[in-house]
Amino acid sequence: MGGRGSIDVGRHGGIHMAEALLEIEGVEVRRGMGVVLSNFSLDLHSGDILILQGINGSGKSTVIETASRLLPLEHGAVKHHGKMTIDSDGRRVHPRHPFGLVLQSNGAIGSETVDAHLSTVAKLCNAELDLSALLDAYGLKHRSGDKIAYLSGGQARKVSVLGALLPAMVAESPTLVIMDEPDSGLDEQAITTLMTHIQSLAAAGHAFLIATHNPSMMAIATHVHDLEKKIEQKPNDAKPHKRLGANAPARWVSTRSAHRYARTTRSGLARNGLTALMVLGCALALGDPAQLPSGLWETGGILAPAFAAGLTGDPTTHLLREHRAEDWWRAQSQPTPAAHGLGLAIGLVTTLAACYIYTGGVDLALLALGGIIGETAMLGTRLLHQSTRRLARPNAVFIRLLLPVFILPWALIVSWASKW
Amino acid sequence: MAARSAEALLGVGFLGIMATLYLGFQWAPSVSIDAFESPAAQRIFYWHVPAAWAAFIAFAVLFAGSAMWFFKRSPLGWRLHVAGAEAGLACGLITVWSGCVWGAAEWGTPWDWTDVRLNTFGLLTLLALFLVLGRQSQPDGVETRDTFSTFGLYGFILVPLTYIATRIWEIRHPGPVIGTGDDSGSLAGDMAIVLLLGALSFTVFILGHILMSMRITGLEQRLEQVQHQIDGGN
Repeated sequence: MGGRGSIDVGRHGGIHMAEALLEIEGVEVRRGMGVVLSNFSLDLHSGDILILQGINGSGKSTVIETASRLLPLEHGAVKHHGKMTIDSDGRRVHPRHPFGLVLQSNGAIGSETVDAHLSTVAKLCNAELDLSALLDAYGLKHRSGDKIAYLSGGQARKVSVLGALLPAMVAESPTLVIMDEPDSGLDEQAITTLMTHIQSLAAAGHAFLIATHNPSMMAIATHVHDLEKKIEQKPNDAKPHKRLGANAPARWVSTRSAHRYARTTRSGLARNGLTALMVLGCALALGDPAQLPSGLWETGGILAPAFAAGLTGDPTTHLLREHRAEDWWRAQSQPTPAAHGLGLAIGLVTTLAACYIYTGGVDLALLALGGIIGETAMLGTRLLHQSTRRLARPNAVFIRLLLPVFILPWALIVSWASKW
Repeated sequence: MAARSAEALLGVGFLGIMATLYLGFQWAPSVSIDAFESPAAQRIFYWHVPAAWAAFIAFAVLFAGSAMWFFKRSPLGWRLHVAGAEAGLACGLITVWSGCVWGAAEWGTPWDWTDVRLNTFGLLTLLALFLVLGRQSQPDGVETRDTFSTFGLYGFILVPLTYIATRIWEIRHPGPVIGTGDDSGSLAGDMAIVLLLGALSFTVFILGHILMSMRITGLEQRLEQVQHQIDGGN
């Protein structure tokens, strides 16, 4: 085999770069209290279709999640395109090349439309394309505008599988695709289409790491790995897939996606906005706030709704916990979606309303302070929630017990602002 | 032998704590009626201060255990983490509760959200509550242990902050009365004896609590191991 970047003539019946797209080097991975992978190594080159086989619980999904940088390593390292992406010292580097990924869970938010989800995947790869032909191939063209939550289980799986194939389909250079039981829930026709796509994309130089129990999928493998050794199978002689779409550099994809999630689900209004309104409503229920003397209580009353809205947290945090969407995003090269600026906006609006109710006018300094409080409290709450994402049951942990950490700074700010 | 020592420490500590309570209410001299708004309520300090001291010991154990697990994957470290969190919660609640009683009598309010020491100590207690409840909500595993150890490590920053809080921001909380380096805050001899007895008793009690808790966690781990073996694991 040639060195990295050298030309390897004749592998898999084509001409490919011999660079390893994926290297898992001597990793040890623990899940629960058990060691699932010990001194495990695997490499995947351009044109490879490597199928992981083994009984349930043998560690196939652990290999998939290790390759996707989702699991911390006790020993060893994982490299994409020759560059370290995660190692046992806790370093975690964003891969320079986007890669395709489908986990056992679909990793897509139910309130996204099929079209919006796949367009986001394309944007993460700095590309845009007309999805109609692709959707048609999987019998989804007529559902392109539907929310993923409204699809059947099999249809939703097709969308996730397409999302994993897209990075390779739009890429100009060899791309890694990682798939955990992609055929699960798919009909025979869709499995045939999927296998055709995998073979043609591999012939074009992309590499596939697939965990499956499906015997027909085994038939297209160039290599099989039983978690102990890699065994070479027949070469892939399919016709190479032609690149789809065009380059379209995209920025702030994750933040834009977060705002789209919050907007389309109206969860920013439903969660944060309503919390602020409840706080304001409680104050109104006690009497006429305008009768309060100016000072600590009035300033506190004005700044309380923005604070409460921020403490409710980033609405996208909860949406992302649906079907492991957060893991899907975390594996990709982008930061996980966060609705930056939403706390500021809600803080400004609620402080404006509170200011008017309490003083009959608008205090610009308090307005700015309300916006900053809303955004900062939301940021802090988001960080607290993110700190529990490795847990098996993140929604069951009592993370809100730690929210009072924000009360002292808020009280000190109110005390300071009341002296203006 | 080790099993007996936990019970012995708990028993001796409990008796000492009860003796401190009796001496604090019945024997220790009263403070000057000019020194406090509510001089009688001051006697609760013979419990409040030693409980806070014991809570700091527990939080130090929590920190050490968290570090041992996080950096060395030490099972002993995890048992110390669990024991430190539980002991910190017990002593933290005693401290917060007794402080609220005193605050209501002395300040006219049980809590002040702008007092730094009050809030940082309250947060430490909430952290301990979070760690205890959180651990019970999750299956045992490296993910759970790593996450809660991280909270144990970062949360410890509140301990020195709580300690120095009244030296930097004396808002409501009284400043230090021992080890001030001058005569301004010194305690009368009899008061110091009762306070010292309280500190010793709470220390002995908390050590017994930690040993007992570590033993229970060890047994839980053994039970899980046996269940795993019955299920066909290694």
